Amino acid sequence: MNEQEYYVPSGTYWPIIGSIGVATLFVGFANQMHGASWGGSIMALGFAILVFMMFGWFSQVVKESTSGMYNSQVDRSFRWGMSWFIFSEVMFFAAFFAALFYARQLSVPWLGGADNNMFTPELWDGFRATWQQIAFNTPGATLQSGTAVSVPTQLVDAWGLPALNTALLLLSGVTLTFAHHALRAGHRNKIISWLVATIVLGVLFLGFQITEYGHAYHDGLKLTSGIYGSTFYMLTGFHGFHVTVGVLMLTVILYRVQKGHFSADNHFGFEGVAWYWHFVDVVWLGLFIFVYWL
Amino acid sequence: MTQVVIIVVIIAILIALGLGLLGMLKGGSAGSDKMFKSLVIRVVLSLFLFILVMFAAFMGWIEPNVVMMDASTLK
Repeated sequence: MNEQEYYVPSGTYWPIIGSIGVATLFVGFANQMHGASWGGSIMALGFAILVFMMFGWFSQVVKESTSGMYNSQVDRSFRWGMSWFIFSEVMFFAAFFAALFYARQLSVPWLGGADNNMFTPELWDGFRATWQQIAFNTPGATLQSGTAVSVPTQLVDAWGLPALNTALLLLSGVTLTFAHHALRAGHRNKIISWLVATIVLGVLFLGFQITEYGHAYHDGLKLTSGIYGSTFYMLTGFHGFHVTVGVLMLTVILYRVQKGHFSADNHFGFEGVAWYWHFVDVVWLGLFIFVYWL
Repeated sequence: MTQVVIIVVIIAILIALGLGLLGMLKGGSAGSDKMFKSLVIRVVLSLFLFILVMFAAFMGWIEPNVVMMDASTLK
């Protein structure tokens, strides 16, 4: 295609299909929250329309790209588009990390009477302003007040699954880097092997995260377990969602590598997904350190 | 001191990740090189940080974010 001309796609119906999908999803979600029996079905329908739209639209973009309809101007547009998407993702997680720091460093100490009770007096007799997850050293114990404590010892054990999951995700960063190197060197079989390894590690991470949630929920840590439970599930839950999306993206990239869509010097699709995976990896490292250790 | 080192390494990781993003945005051969090298640094620093945190915990320099309480002493 002529480098001086900007490729303008012809009229497309995918945006309106996407809008219908999002609207259906939210109508279903709102009614589900209000207890409507049909809310879940409408949500599922909206989600299916969204998936159909993404599959159709992205397929069209891939076809246009592989047929040589894009020039360097379009390439720049894709790079800027991905960068703004990443900016929104960084702001998204920055807000949740800020919520964690605010609750932990300011609001919880204030509730506990920090700064000479300048902000709040003691809320009620026996109130304890603790940020960290409390683990009682005797499972099933009873407090002096007679309240039974169902929280067992070592509710959130930083040495266990969280450390294992961190190792898995960091290892996936290494395997993805090997795949990236193989792509730049033009070794397609190696790219496929390392990408498969990365996807397997991502799926393993998700499996262990579900197991961790099962333990935590069973032991009494829920979204409603105060500010710690809320921030814990919001941060780790949204991170898990991003890992899920990342695994899907890597799977699509694996398919495209097998189809020979990328060359050693032209592989923006791979680069965008690789950076996204590294970002998700770093977010987890931050979570592991600030939620479990510092 | 250990905590300061951990924070410094986290900042270095974020800078490497950010440089990788700039490389991707730039594109072309030079941008692709910059992106790859930055992400390699990111991976190496992350592995170092994980080992540092685990070692510091093993040595008792940092404690997990879990408060152990004796239930019988609480109201």
